[in-house]
Amino acid sequence: MIRYAAILGQTLLAAALAPLLVGLIRWMKARLQGRRGAAPWQPYFELRKLFAKECVVSHTASWLFHATPFVVFGSTIVVASLVPVVVAPSDPLVAGDLFAVVYLLLLGTFFLALAGLDTGSPFGGMGASREMTVVALTEPTVAISIVALALTAGSTGFAQIVGQTIADPARVLGPGHLLAFAALFIVTIAETGRLPVDNPATHLELTMIHEAMVLEYSGPYLALLEWAAALKLLVFFTLAANLFMPWGIAVSLTPAAILIGLLTLLVKLAALALAVAVLETRVAKLRLFRVPELLSLSLVLALLAVTSSFLAR
Amino acid sequence: MASIIALLLPPVIAVAAAVVIKPYRRLAGWIGLGCAAVSCAAAGVLSWTILAAGQPDRFLIAGPFRIDALSALLAAAIAFVTLLTAALSPGLSRDDAEDPMRTRRLRVYMPAFAGTMLAAVTVHNVAWMWVAVEATTIFSALVIPLTRTKASVEASWKYLLVCSVGIALAFTGTILAYFDFVATAGDAAVALNWTALKQAAGSLHPPLLQLAFAFIVVGYGTKAGLAPMHTWLPDAHSEAPSPISAMMSGVLLAVAMYAIARWKAVVDVAVSPAFTNGLLIGFGLLSVAVGVLSLVIQRHYKRMLGYSSVEHMGLVAIGLGLGPLGAFAAWLHVINHAVAKSLGFLAAGRILHRYETTEIARVTGLLRTMPWTGALFATAMLALVGLPPFGLFVSEFLLIQAAIANRHLWLAIVVLLLLLAAFVSLVNHLNRMLYGDAPEEVRVGERTSWPVIVLLAPAVILVLLGTVLPASIAALVRGSAALLIP
Amino acid sequence: MRGLFAQLVTLGSSGMLLTAFIVLWRKGIAAYINAYRWQSWLLGALVAVIGYFGRDGHLYGVALLLIVFKGIVIPRVMQRMRQRIGIQPRIAPYVNTEVSLLIAGGLVLFAYGLARPWVAVSQLPTREGLPLAMALIFVSLFIIVSRKKAITQVIGFLMLENAIALLAAVGTYGVPLLIEIGVFLDALMVFLVMQIFVYQIHQTFDTIDVEQLRRLKH
Repeated sequence: MIRYAAILGQTLLAAALAPLLVGLIRWMKARLQGRRGAAPWQPYFELRKLFAKECVVSHTASWLFHATPFVVFGSTIVVASLVPVVVAPSDPLVAGDLFAVVYLLLLGTFFLALAGLDTGSPFGGMGASREMTVVALTEPTVAISIVALALTAGSTGFAQIVGQTIADPARVLGPGHLLAFAALFIVTIAETGRLPVDNPATHLELTMIHEAMVLEYSGPYLALLEWAAALKLLVFFTLAANLFMPWGIAVSLTPAAILIGLLTLLVKLAALALAVAVLETRVAKLRLFRVPELLSLSLVLALLAVTSSFLAR
Repeated sequence: MASIIALLLPPVIAVAAAVVIKPYRRLAGWIGLGCAAVSCAAAGVLSWTILAAGQPDRFLIAGPFRIDALSALLAAAIAFVTLLTAALSPGLSRDDAEDPMRTRRLRVYMPAFAGTMLAAVTVHNVAWMWVAVEATTIFSALVIPLTRTKASVEASWKYLLVCSVGIALAFTGTILAYFDFVATAGDAAVALNWTALKQAAGSLHPPLLQLAFAFIVVGYGTKAGLAPMHTWLPDAHSEAPSPISAMMSGVLLAVAMYAIARWKAVVDVAVSPAFTNGLLIGFGLLSVAVGVLSLVIQRHYKRMLGYSSVEHMGLVAIGLGLGPLGAFAAWLHVINHAVAKSLGFLAAGRILHRYETTEIARVTGLLRTMPWTGALFATAMLALVGLPPFGLFVSEFLLIQAAIANRHLWLAIVVLLLLLAAFVSLVNHLNRMLYGDAPEEVRVGERTSWPVIVLLAPAVILVLLGTVLPASIAALVRGSAALLIP
Repeated sequence: MRGLFAQLVTLGSSGMLLTAFIVLWRKGIAAYINAYRWQSWLLGALVAVIGYFGRDGHLYGVALLLIVFKGIVIPRVMQRMRQRIGIQPRIAPYVNTEVSLLIAGGLVLFAYGLARPWVAVSQLPTREGLPLAMALIFVSLFIIVSRKKAITQVIGFLMLENAIALLAAVGTYGVPLLIEIGVFLDALMVFLVMQIFVYQIHQTFDTIDVEQLRRLKH
């Protein structure tokens, strides 16, 4: 019972923290660029504003347009419940592992791409096709880079992977681990639409990927999609942090462990947010035909990670 | 001991003389010639000492150098070709119209090149042998673009890059074998002396040595001009100045085959000889085929000589893969080829100087414009296609015999067919060059100057090797072949 | 302690392999020179680590030689060459970036397969680095074969030399010192001659695109 409460709790926590994470990255970028920037909790106000507005829907849109925000948000919430955010107990509670996560994320992306096409707007279609180009290369990489860890853990369940890394810390220095982390980091950037793959703050439609697909949305729908995007970012950060550097994560369900898990999670998220903010400030957006080069590099890094984990035992 | 110093020190002196005497004076050329003569004499003395003992496995050791029958044989070949080229390069007589700076560069790099080749065949340690072979690449590459034309720069870049990569792979093979040795036998100080490797070879791991030998054959084979790593050869040998081409085609390729042979002797102890034989015959046959087929469509005579080298090195590789009889044929072929090819390139150099073109179609009437050189060039070509009474006929015949003796009848037939094709194409090209009317711009007539007289020597030697094979040379070759038996 | 040694060696070797991947991924000679510099520093550090754990004093000297020449002098010479030759137009390689990276990944797998018998034979704790060294050899060869600019081919060759040095280091803790020095000087001379040739190519052809070197055919 307590375990289910813990899982529910960490899912709600993830959903609650997600906008703060996005706001934090924006605030750090602003400070790095010499501006004061909006406060880190600005996205909450934006969400509240959007929920209060009315939805304007195109006449040519179908049921897909209405269904997508819920599908996207729902799948992302389910993913957040599968991922070890604060708690990673030694036996899995929810039936779902690495591949479930990958495919649920893909489900959301798929619906989003269709919704972009649904309204018949040219920008939506353009965004959808670009997103599919990116996703075609990132999805296998997400799976393969975590499989590199799963191979040594002997299971694709997150709890086992976390447990394996905690039990054998010297492995962190191994090339398999580091390469998989590098691959996952690159994929995080690509999947969550951050520089150098996609500029989240752009207002030029021809440079958009993710924003182009949600261009036609307004009101609560837009709020749900923005929230889902933020939650996706948090999920990826949590995967990167807690699978590759899992120390501090709560293995048991005692209050002290949970508190420590929460604090370490906040620290790791803040560190990754800083890394992404610095990266976004330093690099320029890649031209679209350069993006496959970056993504194939990450794929090859993930493959090398699997090779060294698997063959170097 | 003294003869080893007399063999290896003169090239150093020749280089020093050419470097110090600036601007170039003919004295540097004469010093170089004298040093080459001393080296040649020393090589002869060494061969005699090895033979005089009577046993086939007699050797001489002096520091890092170890001279046995094979080393003596190749050293003699290198020294002889160096002497020929030193006598025939520009810079000795007053009416050489060459640019003094270029002549000086030639006179500096030629003995350096010769010295590194001599070091490669006489040193005991396979790693030092590798260093010497790499050094030959450097010195020869520096002198190919003597005239800064686009073609020569391209040829030298290709040569440098391809051969350096090949040599690096050969070093990988060396390290793999060293690794195996250290993992089993342990002692590191003498581990890279090939005698030590051969002795310990029984306890080394076959799959590792097979992989190492594969790297060695590909690596040193690049340097030897074996197909499919031969792509640099026609370019480099055609664009280089003729004396350098003579040295490269005549003896440098032989030095690379020497390296492969030394490693074969080691690997054959650990792995059954069928593996190395198969590898060598495979590469050799491919080289002969590629060389011959490229000869048919040739339009430049120096490139033709280059492809002929590819073909002959293929024959040597096949010979090395055919047991003791084949090894005898192979080393005899190396000697014959060295003499014939250097004669061919040096004559080609004189033709180039007169006709100022490298195209076969534009060289006609050779017998009328340059009767002596034309005749010598024809001698070289006829020798290279394997006609009696020249030495290559004997070695090729022995090669075919060895193939049949080893029950590789199909191999003998294929090689014979390819040699026939080579015969037809080379004689065809030769005919076009020798006969017909000379082009108008070319001066007719040739004095019997002393370069021509010098060039008669290799022709005579070829006839000697083909008719009355001197017993001493035969004994030396036999000793070399015996070294390859595990 | 042994575990740490093996991990460090594997880490260093992987780092060297990754710098070769950077050459395949990035464009621009400056990036290649930087990648080579990092690779040489990693090699030097690795050799020093092997000297420390393997208790072999002469490896410190070798590491110093490597860092000074390959990590500092040669990159500086190449930078100067790059500046003298000037900005070059972007020349697309024979194989494009994505396919190059995938082929290189395949070569790494091939090297792992090829190196299996040696890893079984070796007793040294550095044996995990053997397949990585072989992989680096193959990837360097691939760089030489698939790139069109002469300077990139030189970088590929320099990386090949580094790969062989790595092979010697992890396989046998290096070769005897005298030979090491001989090999090293040889490699240095080859590099200097290559540098001379790149200048000559640039002066004679007005480009360093080796595709232009096609006057000699058949």
